[in-house]
Amino acid sequence: MSPTATAKRSASKTTVAPLPGGYTGKLLRVNLSTGKTWAEAWDPETMRDQLGGVGLGARVLWNEVPAKAHWDHPENRLVLATGPLAGLPVWGTGGLTVVTRGAMTDGATSTNANGFFGAALKYSGYDSIIIQGQAKKWSYLYINDDVVEVRDAAHLLGKDTWETQQALEREHGLTGHRMSVYCVGVAGETCVRFAAIHGDYGHVASKNGCGAVMGKKRLKAVCIVRGTGALRAHDPRGLVQAADDIAHDLKTDPATSTLYNFGTLPGVTNLYKLGVLPIKNYTTNLTTVDMTEWEPTKLRAGFDHRGHQCNACGMHHCHIQVIGRGQFQGERVDEPEYEGWSGAGWTIGLTDKEAVSWLNTRVDRACVDINEFGWVCGWVMECMEKGYLTEKQVGFRLRFGDVNGAYRLLQMITNREGFGDILAEGVKRASEKVGGEAAKCAVYTKKGASPRGHDHRGRWDEMLDTCTSSNGTMESANPTFQTEIGLPGRITPFDGEQVAKLTGGILGRRHFEDSLGGCSFTFRTRIENLARALSAATGWNYTLQDALRFGRRTAAILRAFNLRCGIGTDVEYPSVRYGSQPVDGPAKEHNVMEQWEHMLDVWYETVGYDRKTGKPKKETLHALGLDWLAKELWRK
Amino acid sequence: MAQITRALPVTIEVTTWVTKHVGGDGGGTRLFEEPFASGDTVRTVLRRFSRRFPELDDALWNPTRTELGESIEVVVNDAVLGVHHQLESPLEGGERITLLGQFMGGR
Repeated sequence: MSPTATAKRSASKTTVAPLPGGYTGKLLRVNLSTGKTWAEAWDPETMRDQLGGVGLGARVLWNEVPAKAHWDHPENRLVLATGPLAGLPVWGTGGLTVVTRGAMTDGATSTNANGFFGAALKYSGYDSIIIQGQAKKWSYLYINDDVVEVRDAAHLLGKDTWETQQALEREHGLTGHRMSVYCVGVAGETCVRFAAIHGDYGHVASKNGCGAVMGKKRLKAVCIVRGTGALRAHDPRGLVQAADDIAHDLKTDPATSTLYNFGTLPGVTNLYKLGVLPIKNYTTNLTTVDMTEWEPTKLRAGFDHRGHQCNACGMHHCHIQVIGRGQFQGERVDEPEYEGWSGAGWTIGLTDKEAVSWLNTRVDRACVDINEFGWVCGWVMECMEKGYLTEKQVGFRLRFGDVNGAYRLLQMITNREGFGDILAEGVKRASEKVGGEAAKCAVYTKKGASPRGHDHRGRWDEMLDTCTSSNGTMESANPTFQTEIGLPGRITPFDGEQVAKLTGGILGRRHFEDSLGGCSFTFRTRIENLARALSAATGWNYTLQDALRFGRRTAAILRAFNLRCGIGTDVEYPSVRYGSQPVDGPAKEHNVMEQWEHMLDVWYETVGYDRKTGKPKKETLHALGLDWLAKELWRK
Repeated sequence: MAQITRALPVTIEVTTWVTKHVGGDGGGTRLFEEPFASGDTVRTVLRRFSRRFPELDDALWNPTRTELGESIEVVVNDAVLGVHHQLESPLEGGERITLLGQFMGGR
């Protein structure tokens, strides 16, 4: 294995301002076309302006990815970003934020994964990695403190994500958390449009086909030996105090203690009660299954499980488990998140918990986005049941609830075999290609992004968010302690105006969170707490208002990038099925499309964007300190 | 003064982690038959019920106990509060109120 390049640290560069705590001060640049890697210093003023994560990534997209550089173009950038809290003793600060021009929308992507990657990278001396170009042959990036090499990955081809990690661990003689690997499985190699990036056994940056981008660059993996460098916090005592307050919130606040205890497992029973659990590709919201068996305690008790916490995390969230019975007895799997129970389970009519758990891990190991897999597989199942797709077209008979058939379909998609090649483009493109009645059964946004594993016909805020977002998934995400910023604690979920005001009102919080280098679950705390942690880490005086302004600024840049990519207001709609009226269940009386246009009007007004063009208004950009962007966006 | 009737109580269904606030283990469902008085509203029934469980009282209401807090969904007869019922809506005996923990998923 011969290295093709080693990073050159830039010569010591004197900056006027001292380096803020929490930062290493260097970005790692990688050009896969040339094999060259180099460290690039960034200055404290830029750090304060962009923070890290999606804040940094949005600027990289805007500055470096022109309209003609589509998702599969070598000039597209793949940003693997941490933030100023990554590697510090705040819960869940080992994650990374992947920012790129994604394959599903051909627009901006911001998607998170956790584990240990972020901490390992920071200890190696880098705040983020910015990858460009396309390798001539399959490669992986190896980082071990000052050694940064683009290495041959021929021996890793054909391996799934767990096998890839295991192979690299063997190769380097490192196990446990001494090395972090994020990689693509076979679906990334074949550029399945909804391929994800997977790492640290069970963590996935899943949205908008970021794994397809990585695959197109012929980058199989990024492998970081836990570095030996140290991070400095400006005010260690203040940082620990803020971290303690965040942990206390998570443990004790009624809104977050469920996450602390069970992660996302409570979603199944809770969302079913609200008509938000997607069952059989949105064909029903009712089931005869005993839902008490799907409560979080029962879900966890059914397996031999143990904690699989991320860096510096005290949550009882991630678990590895062993299947104790049935066809897959003895298999080691990652405990499904709610999205797994949904995408590998309810959406495809599969309610055998052991089978769902097994299939979910198989989807992850292939590096396929579990949400889109559910929409694709559920669509095929429904269409075959109704005769809109034939056995001849698909290649075999697939019915709701058939785990072996679903796995066969996954393999066809992953290897782009037969009908799987069409499905590998995602359900939007596949259903448009098939056409007819089948096209009306597919769940997707017109932008091409996958909705997450909810039935959003009972959760309009998430549907509006998914359709208007500029990051390939939900951009505002769930309201979290929104009374902190003067928004109502609860709304009527089927009042479009209230929904749009709340969804638009919280825009920006998530961008701030996703720029700090932590986990979206452990950051379910008040913004004030996060701002306090950031201030203690860096030495800045960062306030709640600063956080919101930063978030809105980042959202505006992503929106501008997408507009430059040609993604406009004409695609801010759900597909026919996604926007349909439920036929049964708690939300059956409510038709989102009757209020859709008004919701858009109110959302645009709330966020300060122009309804006709989709552009952030000049005054909005001015208030955000983005006059430079206003000049570019609004020039005649 | 309103008469508490023994006939047709309101059922209060406390689910999943919210059961911890009413003596449960955070799983399953606990059902309570709440005596019902003529003229009772969603608010009066919930206030009367939650006063018996201090932890629930803290979680269900805002600090001044004038409005609901953010973390527990209130569902009346399978519809989220605000759809068919408001806090001030009168209840009828035999109706069901479900207290459901808010779910914050990923994305």
